[in-house]
Amino acid sequence: MEKQEEERKTLQLEKILDKAVGLGASYADIRYQDYDFELITVENKALKSYSSRRLSGVGIRVAIKGAIGFASTSDLRRSSLERTLGNAVKAAKSIKSEKKPFSATKINETNVKLPIQTNPIDVSPEKKVSITLEANKAAWISDEIKSAITNLGLSSDARLFISSEGANVRVETSLVGLQHQSVAKVNGVMERVPYSESMCAGFEFIQSKDWNSFTADISDLAIEAARSKTPPPGTYPVVVDPEILGVVLHEAFGHASEGDLVFTGESVLHNKLGVQLASESVTIVDEGMIEGGYFYPFDDEGTKKERTVILENGFLKRYIHDRHSALQFLVDSTGNGRAQDFESMPIVRQTNTYLQPRDHKLEELIEDIDFGIYVREKGWTGGQVEPGMGTFTFNVGPSKIIRNGEVAETVREVVIGGSILETLKTVDAVGKDLKIVTNVFGGCGKGGQRASVGIGGPHVRVRKMTVGGR
Amino acid sequence: MGATEAEAYVQKARTIRGEFSEAIENFRTVESIEKNLRVALGKKTAMYSTSILDEGEISKAAAKAVKIAKVAPEDPHWKHMNKKFGKASAEGYYDSALENLDYQEVVETLVSAINRMKSYDARVRPTRGFVTTYVSNVSIANSYNDSTERRETGIGAWMRTKAEDNGMKGTGTEHQQARFWKEINFDDLAVKAAEKAVKFLKAKPISSGKMSVIIRNQIFANILGVILSGPINADWVQKGRSPLSNKLGNQIASENINIVDDGIMHGGWRTKPFDDEGYPTQRTLVIEKGILKNYLYNMYTALKDNVKSTGNAQRPYYWMTPEPQPNNLIMKPGEASPEDIIHDTKTGIYIEDTIGEWLSNPVSGNLNATVTHGYLVKNGELAEPIKGVIISGNFYELLQKGIETIGNDLRNSMHNYAPTVKLAPLTIAGK
Repeated sequence: MEKQEEERKTLQLEKILDKAVGLGASYADIRYQDYDFELITVENKALKSYSSRRLSGVGIRVAIKGAIGFASTSDLRRSSLERTLGNAVKAAKSIKSEKKPFSATKINETNVKLPIQTNPIDVSPEKKVSITLEANKAAWISDEIKSAITNLGLSSDARLFISSEGANVRVETSLVGLQHQSVAKVNGVMERVPYSESMCAGFEFIQSKDWNSFTADISDLAIEAARSKTPPPGTYPVVVDPEILGVVLHEAFGHASEGDLVFTGESVLHNKLGVQLASESVTIVDEGMIEGGYFYPFDDEGTKKERTVILENGFLKRYIHDRHSALQFLVDSTGNGRAQDFESMPIVRQTNTYLQPRDHKLEELIEDIDFGIYVREKGWTGGQVEPGMGTFTFNVGPSKIIRNGEVAETVREVVIGGSILETLKTVDAVGKDLKIVTNVFGGCGKGGQRASVGIGGPHVRVRKMTVGGR
Repeated sequence: MGATEAEAYVQKARTIRGEFSEAIENFRTVESIEKNLRVALGKKTAMYSTSILDEGEISKAAAKAVKIAKVAPEDPHWKHMNKKFGKASAEGYYDSALENLDYQEVVETLVSAINRMKSYDARVRPTRGFVTTYVSNVSIANSYNDSTERRETGIGAWMRTKAEDNGMKGTGTEHQQARFWKEINFDDLAVKAAEKAVKFLKAKPISSGKMSVIIRNQIFANILGVILSGPINADWVQKGRSPLSNKLGNQIASENINIVDDGIMHGGWRTKPFDDEGYPTQRTLVIEKGILKNYLYNMYTALKDNVKSTGNAQRPYYWMTPEPQPNNLIMKPGEASPEDIIHDTKTGIYIEDTIGEWLSNPVSGNLNATVTHGYLVKNGELAEPIKGVIISGNFYELLQKGIETIGNDLRNSMHNYAPTVKLAPLTIAGK
């Protein structure tokens, strides 16, 4: 990415910073980004589309008398950069604010690259199409499979952050993965199972995996789901897979720990610091770099993302912050100021949020449940949370009934729901395994911005979970 | 460079977004120029997109698209791109007042809304909200020497409040999307969001069971869009993914159900004169008196089925292929006012807001949603507020015999439009 360095130099972004200060800004930062994304879609054994996208531009943030203004442009000509600065200044001046904008932070100067072998964007299109086609063909395991879609997603992202305080932080990463969905029809019942696997890595990750058995297994599960019943609705003890635990924690608890939502009172964790919210076996962490998760050494405000323990042995220890929310709480930023891209302003976001493993084996979690559900991750489609009350709902994959301490038949269309603070109190056993995953195809949405995150944890047992069914 | 066909799609947009809680937090302006090039080499296609402006970039984009297309396998169904552009007489999708809005007017409007929420009740505080306005200019040109252009505006407003009283918490959310600045009544949204938060301070789950369900218009509009948009998409039908495949002309719903896709209605969220392939938009009957009449087409799927495009090509993002998607999906309203519907219900629940309804499964028709705001209905009146229960049912079964009453209060959630409806008893998972 030397080319990017060159481009940046010709842009003379530092001069724009100086100009911002000259226009009355007490603080200014500029984020320059160069992003490549490729999405290859194969549907029913034929290449449907090959989309390739390049995004580059500059976002300028200024603080004037405590008010924050932001503007961005993908037009990198000098005149455009100056107009963009003008827009940011105008936006800040239109707001009346008495607050100081940002907490103090360590000023970093660094350049960090995810170690990769092969840049996925540079691999030949033939190779990428062929892997996706083969994986799709492998999903047609029987006449019961009616449709199969396979996506290969490849991204490369370089971000530069400079500020009027002297920060200069450059981070380069790459995220790749494959997503597949099979639709099966058995005796008139149609079911779909989508699933994906991604990794912050180069193309070597794509080449290292057997995607043909990955898609065939998804088809198997779709057929099994179409043959099965829905669970009886009610409230039960459940054992949940790591990805489901991870996504529920991220959505229902992690977001509630975000300083901006706490500050406005929107969060269910408002005024709960120091309070015991879960059993002593529950510790929840947000960490920038961890195996399987999203590579995030520095945030989009140039702050180092370290390990933040949010909930420790059941007690709420701290919230996560960007520099703006940190100031409201008179603490330091935890390195969670993240922006989707140069067109968005950093807001408080999680990085890799997970529950720390303890000491139980999976069988031990299951064996003393008389009747319950083993909530599975493969095939989960998503969820939503109402942050003010902590109400959550998730559509999980085809799951298993637990009967007399043993895993029994498959059930489909399983929806779990609850209120996070009540559900956390009923987590009574935590497994010793740990799985953290990230995703090139999706990510977390907040305030109209998406961000790549990592989620996960061990298997856990929850004593009370509402399960929808018919 | 060897391409037999090419289509350039350029979107110039300016978005202004203001965010607030108890005060305005920030403003941002985003200006973007996004360019997408789609090429075909015989029956091989590819696309390349870029946000970069310099002149060399366009020829680089063309070279890259051609390079990809060369190695793509042939698509036996590919015929050609849309050769001839056209415009339908759509109106109400551009507002010059919105384009020329200045920050000051937005600030004053938001400050007024914030004050309405705060002054409604001492227990209420606005916790989050935003307003987003955009003006977008789309131009399309092709290698058949045709070109076309459209300019549109839109505004979305969203706000949430929280009420706290003696450890009890209630929240209220309101949102609206429109094409014109003046269409959004910020004060009205603010008062409703505040009122809702107070009313739901005492909301509780109820026991599991089966009950009649009345669903508020915007929520039912979401459900309609989530379940039907895919299955009526000709691409899903052709690829075997739609449960509505081979059902044209069949009675798939009861006779009181009429659903249209209307790309030319005045002021609709997705109203426009032509779709993302330059094909004129139109009004398409989807379900008439319960009978499935049409699927929605883009150029590719239309040529495959030997029919005309319905003007439904939509690029989810500028860098993605145009796929058939509804323009404005509308369930036609009936006669009953929402008050009448409640009045005629002896016992049941009225659903004000849900989360997760968008996760309902269009393939199996499984409808589920977690109720965050609802009321028990007792003897024709709204009674205790409820929350945290999951409703489930099958949408296709509901279409056939489960939509008992259709309200007269059509409202949109984005591009989906529906009235309030009353459904036959559904399963409710509660405490």
